[in-house]
Amino acid sequence: MSETRSPQSTYLLIPILLMSILLGIGVIRGPAIVTLEGLGSAITVAAPLCLATYALMSVAIAGRGTVDLAVGPLLAFINVVIVSLNELDLVTSPLGVFVLALAIGITYQVLFALVIIIVRVQPIIVALSGFLALSGINRVIMQRPGGTAPEWMNSWGLGDTIFSPILLLLVLATGGWLLFTLSSFYKHLRMMGYDERAAFTSGVRGNLVRVGAHIISGIFVALAAICYTALIASGDPTQGTTMSLTAVTAVVLGGISLAGGRGNVLGALLGAINLFLIGYVLATFNFGSVQAFVTQMCYGLILIASLLLTLLVPLVGRHISFITPFSALMILGAVVVAIMLTVGISMPEGALPVATTGYDLLPATGTSDVVAFVLTPIQKVILVALAVFTLGTIMMRIVVVEASARRFGVFGHAMVAGMLVLGLAVVALYSLPSSGGLLK
Amino acid sequence: MNFVPRSTALVTLNLVITFVVAAIGFGVGFGQGMGAQEVILYTIISAAVLFWILNYIAAIFESRLQPDKPTESAVGVGSVWRNNRVLIIAMALLLIVYLIVTGAYPPFRTIYNLIGVLVLEIILVFAFKVSNVFVHGRSAFIGLIVLLALIVISAFTINGFLSPANIRAVLLFAAFLGIACIGQTMVALMGGLDLSIPFLIGAANILLLYLIGLGVPPWFAFVAVIALGCGIGFLNGIMSYKLQGQALIITLGTGFTITGLVQIITSIGSAFAGNVFGKVPDWLANLAAMNGKFFGLAVPPTILLWIALSIIVVIALRYSAYGRYVYALGGNRRSAKLVGVSELKYWLLAYIISGGCAALTGALLLGWSGGGFIGVGDPYLFTTLAAVVIGGTSLAGGYGGYGFTVIGVLVLQVLSSFLIGIGLKYEWQQFIFGILILPMVALYSRQPSIRAQV
Repeated sequence: MSETRSPQSTYLLIPILLMSILLGIGVIRGPAIVTLEGLGSAITVAAPLCLATYALMSVAIAGRGTVDLAVGPLLAFINVVIVSLNELDLVTSPLGVFVLALAIGITYQVLFALVIIIVRVQPIIVALSGFLALSGINRVIMQRPGGTAPEWMNSWGLGDTIFSPILLLLVLATGGWLLFTLSSFYKHLRMMGYDERAAFTSGVRGNLVRVGAHIISGIFVALAAICYTALIASGDPTQGTTMSLTAVTAVVLGGISLAGGRGNVLGALLGAINLFLIGYVLATFNFGSVQAFVTQMCYGLILIASLLLTLLVPLVGRHISFITPFSALMILGAVVVAIMLTVGISMPEGALPVATTGYDLLPATGTSDVVAFVLTPIQKVILVALAVFTLGTIMMRIVVVEASARRFGVFGHAMVAGMLVLGLAVVALYSLPSSGGLLK
Repeated sequence: MNFVPRSTALVTLNLVITFVVAAIGFGVGFGQGMGAQEVILYTIISAAVLFWILNYIAAIFESRLQPDKPTESAVGVGSVWRNNRVLIIAMALLLIVYLIVTGAYPPFRTIYNLIGVLVLEIILVFAFKVSNVFVHGRSAFIGLIVLLALIVISAFTINGFLSPANIRAVLLFAAFLGIACIGQTMVALMGGLDLSIPFLIGAANILLLYLIGLGVPPWFAFVAVIALGCGIGFLNGIMSYKLQGQALIITLGTGFTITGLVQIITSIGSAFAGNVFGKVPDWLANLAAMNGKFFGLAVPPTILLWIALSIIVVIALRYSAYGRYVYALGGNRRSAKLVGVSELKYWLLAYIISGGCAALTGALLLGWSGGGFIGVGDPYLFTTLAAVVIGGTSLAGGYGGYGFTVIGVLVLQVLSSFLIGIGLKYEWQQFIFGILILPMVALYSRQPSIRAQV
């Protein structure tokens, strides 16, 4: 297979490219997403999908073609159980809900792992079995969408601020996985997924590793279910199939191999965000009565196109060796941030479709009475120092990574720097004439 | 494998058993007051099938038992436990569940439930002990036993389960599922998966009605829709050929695209987006409706179509060069390629057949329901997979066949009919399907341990 020759992260190129295109179009077509509220609700809507994708990723890496199709119904199951027990006044406290969700998620996934290990049936069959059983039982527990989520969750799903508890959960989950990748357990997991026999002969205890991967997946599903419950603020037994198919799609879009061994949390995140963005971008176009059908079609086409593009990855990896996914992320990220800032600043207040009362990422320039961004000199200094520190850390990190990879030439650095300068120049150009500077 | 036992005594015995059973059936048939024509038809069919099955089983046992005498193994409680522990645990669990339910729920204490549990225990014994005799047809054997047991239990529990109307209904739904499964079996034999089947069914369903509504001759529209299905299958095949591990997602993508596209096309110029109106021609309605007639016989032609297609597919897979190459490629790509079998050709063919069969199912379902509905294929998303898996075809490719899938389809349909009969709703049915797939598959398609693979 030619796939094996190119490095793992090369597969991230496609989701990164796709994301920057989608984000670019999305910001231009619907600038509401760069407002506080827009970002906040985007995070709230995308978080359950992101976490479900993580859940799929951690078992997909374990190999043997473990595509946990049951992830959607399991999520819906936890959702329905939380809501039902809340209705009965049995489990209402945050702690209780979290413990309950985690217990269900982990129990199911451990059972899944044990069946694969002991009964030794193909994982896809176990997943199929779980899918049917859980979708059935969901409808038994709750006939139709309804009920109310625990009260303390109400503020979570509003999406009126970026820093909601949902973001915290998402960051914790992502960070947790990144920490986990430092462990040797993760190395064993990847090794097992890549070649189970080789892993076995070199002393990896496959069964233990598999159970571990499934437990992690169970935790992610539980978190996803909590975010989902907060988002819809009720119970919905019907969305399992859609969620499964979407999450599987996100996993594949994120460049994670369903055959095992190749996967990356950044990829899963990008895949899920891309799926959200596809929906967002298409929603900004108006197709009238056939809107839903156009969305469905574009969804399918993008899915196929991005998969077919992965065929080109080994080719790209061979010929364009100066660019790594990380540098691509920086370059394209700079472009997108430039677009964002441009749109955020140049757009007159009235043109923003949603944010009539909200704030832009940067202070609105057209109107003078909405100036909530006055900083004292000390604050300015601290802010600038923080920004410099963060940027410096990131640059150091890139330099270290790229130096060890021996790939990132002068060209790449120059390009990133150029893009950043260009972006800032554009921002300055738009912001100067109207209100005289970024920070008043 | 020969289908007739060598000793004439066995054949005579089978013939006698067949005659006795047929005579009983004949008598019972007239006793129930059915028409003479139907009684004769059913008697002949059941006698022929019974005779064939008896001979088949006898022939297998004859060839297995003759050459080697069973060696005496160590006798003792310990060895009995060691050899049969899974069986004993399973039987004990079943018994405990029965006792608990009986104790806790008084209306459950009926003679039929007792018979049902006894039959289940016998199935377990059969599945574990007798099925070892069949090396290759193990899944088919277990499937047949389960099917038989299901029919027996249902016949006892549900009034009118064996009435012609119910049998016809079960067979009709089995026919829809069975035709949709032809493609899934083909693709699974090559080691792929086709998730576009439900979407194609829905798309074909509304597209056919739309074309008929436009004034296209119905027969031409019918053929065109099937041809389009084959075309989509071709696209599926060619796009997933280099990405065989991701065939799942590619076919899903095609499915989304095609449903979206078809709905856009049918919505153009229509005030009711997503709805298609039209009149289904009589011949199409007759083809698939419950009260369809086939030259005067009260059998919907779809059932006969399914039987004919099954025979063709089974024979083609078993005896034609095409079938043998499919197995060769599914079993071991590399060696099959070295022999000179074109992988691309057979991969494409499998998907083309799959697309065509899905479109045919969609078109037939239009005749059944009389109105176009995009979601008509949704229940087939995982049911086709379930039928293939229950039948015993390996999803990794190279093992199984359409005959197995037919058994899987029948098991699913009879079970579903039984569950409806005892008053369970669709949700419970789905739950029970899910719970049942695992143990059934575990009986015959376990993978070797990693220790054994090194």
